[in-house]
Amino acid sequence: MSTGALDNTTMTPPDHTNGGNGGALPGARPLTPPPPPPPPRSLWATALVDTFRNRRAQVSAVWIGLLVICAVFAPFIANTHPLLMKRDGHWSSPALHYLVPADVMLLAVFVLTLAFLFARRVPYRGWIYAGLVLVAIVLSYTLVPRRDVPNYAVYRQAAAAGKIQAAIYAPVRFSPLDRQFEREDVLLNAPSAQNWLGTDSNGADVASRIIHAARIALAVGFIATGIEVVIGVIVGGLMGYFVGKVDLLGMRLIEIFEAIPTLFLLITFTAFYKRDLYMIMAIIGLTSWTGVARFVRGEFLRLRNLDFVHAARAAGLPLRSVLFRHMLPNALTPVLVSASFGVAQAILLESVLSFLGLGLVEEPSWGGMLEQARSAGRFIWWLAVFPGMAIFLTVFAYNLIGESMRDALDPKLRGIE
Amino acid sequence: MLSYIIRRLLLAIPTLIGMTAVVFFIMALSPGRPSAILAAGLQLKPQEREALKRYYDERYGLDKPIVVQYFRWMKKISPIQIGPGPLGWPWFKAPDLGHSMIRDRRVSDLIKESLPVTLLLDVMALPLIYSTSIWLGLKAARHRGEIVDVGMGTVLLALWSFPVILAGLLLQGYLANKDMLYWFPPAELHDMQAGGMTFLPHHGAAGWERGWLVDTAWHLVLPVICLAYGQFAFVSKLSRGAVLENIGADYVRTARAKGVGERSVLYRHVFRNSLIPLITFAAQLLPALIGGSIVVETIFSVSGMGKLGIDSIFYKDSEVVLAIALVAGILGLIANLAGDILYAVVDPRVAYD
Repeated sequence: MSTGALDNTTMTPPDHTNGGNGGALPGARPLTPPPPPPPPRSLWATALVDTFRNRRAQVSAVWIGLLVICAVFAPFIANTHPLLMKRDGHWSSPALHYLVPADVMLLAVFVLTLAFLFARRVPYRGWIYAGLVLVAIVLSYTLVPRRDVPNYAVYRQAAAAGKIQAAIYAPVRFSPLDRQFEREDVLLNAPSAQNWLGTDSNGADVASRIIHAARIALAVGFIATGIEVVIGVIVGGLMGYFVGKVDLLGMRLIEIFEAIPTLFLLITFTAFYKRDLYMIMAIIGLTSWTGVARFVRGEFLRLRNLDFVHAARAAGLPLRSVLFRHMLPNALTPVLVSASFGVAQAILLESVLSFLGLGLVEEPSWGGMLEQARSAGRFIWWLAVFPGMAIFLTVFAYNLIGESMRDALDPKLRGIE
Repeated sequence: MLSYIIRRLLLAIPTLIGMTAVVFFIMALSPGRPSAILAAGLQLKPQEREALKRYYDERYGLDKPIVVQYFRWMKKISPIQIGPGPLGWPWFKAPDLGHSMIRDRRVSDLIKESLPVTLLLDVMALPLIYSTSIWLGLKAARHRGEIVDVGMGTVLLALWSFPVILAGLLLQGYLANKDMLYWFPPAELHDMQAGGMTFLPHHGAAGWERGWLVDTAWHLVLPVICLAYGQFAFVSKLSRGAVLENIGADYVRTARAKGVGERSVLYRHVFRNSLIPLITFAAQLLPALIGGSIVVETIFSVSGMGKLGIDSIFYKDSEVVLAIALVAGILGLIANLAGDILYAVVDPRVAYD
């Protein structure tokens, strides 16, 4: 029954909570225990396993994992502050000292997520995880002090003067906002032994900025897509369930948002309001939900006439329960696929916004670096190629995962290819 | 059929109204009075600035409530006139798109200049997309499941994922750069001297002269490539699916059974029938291309509608922004409708009632 939920032709309510229990008769107890059946897998587990059986999806997952590590451990991978330093006989860790709330929050959430993935037997682990994440976010933004922007040059000057007796540096020895003021002639340097991927038009190290920009790319991808999916599911679900007037109105709403080129609407939004990362994410989500809504509408139109929905309604369940507990889990597979493509699309949109000069100003972002490559007056290849390839590889990885997921979830393709 | 078209056109009206309303209210609800923003950039004495603000307020009705402003705009662009109109016909007038706040031009003139440029780019990109994708799709379908098919799928997905901003910068930086290869012009749609060129290339006093047509085509190469390459993935996937669907059909088996050659089966029977879903997709492609031209026109400084839109958004020239949203919306709706009608024309089984 675990794969039955994927089969469009089944008329029985698919059971996706425990995957069925193999038809064992209650009370009939064999003398010798039979070999344990393979552990039942939920629909999601099946989908995930099938998705990542594909070699291309595996490679993509490795790349996304690398990005996550870059994003979480960015202050330990690229930082001007030494990780550990002995100065005037004292050991200290400037890198830890200068962690900002976002750094601490990401580290805490990362550790919690790892714990969540490995603590499989803890009851209510989902709720505990969500609660702890919330606590971690609140605590890191209230307890961690916000320090002034430091003078990055002190470490290099002190090291040159021989005042630092011993130090462990991050692999990339520059912070993304470190503009190396003490050096002359630091703007737009080609890749060298000192700045591995060159410097940008402010004198900041490109490698460091690319690593730190992984945060924005991942955050935009996930949060914008989350908003997109929530809006799309609600609008599409209501349309598909209520048909008639609601459907007609919703369809006009979808047409309205599809009639305006997404990019045009997005640019108008960002140009007329304050520039803010969360704003950009929200707007990307608000402007690109129509595809999800169409998918969910179609699925709900199909589901609303199936027996298990009639049964749920006849049992007098509240609308919320019918819509979200019974119908939605069976309609989510196309949503999952389009969410994966949506993440890729959101990253592309953010990079285009930054490229047009509508992104964040100080914060590193891949699109912003491409913008510098264009506005420098001549062609600065290292500002185009490295961040551009980072965008490309990330978008490509999400698209590959999305395609693999579609192949894994599409019942029509099963057994054909 | 006619009633279907009329119904679709009537349904398009609320869509257009809603669409312009979305764009209008986004701009109108943004912080800061537009007249103050427009006057802020200039070097003026305080009282002159006040006078300028008052002028903007009065001229564009910016001091009125937002809803009133929107209805005023709608009244201006609607072709319906209460009472005898200026054209002599009693109930109709020419829609008025307004006057640009920054450039001292009528918005309709600005659009008239820039729309053909964008459409030219799109019209050049479409055949490129279709010819390449259909060929790729046929090839993939014939070698279905083989390494050619799988590899091509991955390569096309990679092309689709390749950011246009990077492709544009790389093409411009390597192929249109005086320090690298200078095969193509880096920007704009015509050479500086294009106005004085003859239309066709010919041998003149100074040897071979390019002429206007070749000059423009030469300028178009890189922007059109940028617009087109990302769409290969979708269209070729569509054509591959359509070919596969037809290859298993009964009429193909019949054709093979009566001894029609394999080439003829593929190109005469299967190919023609697989074109049907591609025709409707062309209609959906047009809005995507118009959206994509925003980036391409910015990179290559082509003064089309995308660039006009970006510039107007940056200067908060809301009259032009609204007009462009309206034009893009109308184009998209027309393209969609045309696609549906074409669908019925090429496939007699489809009927709208």
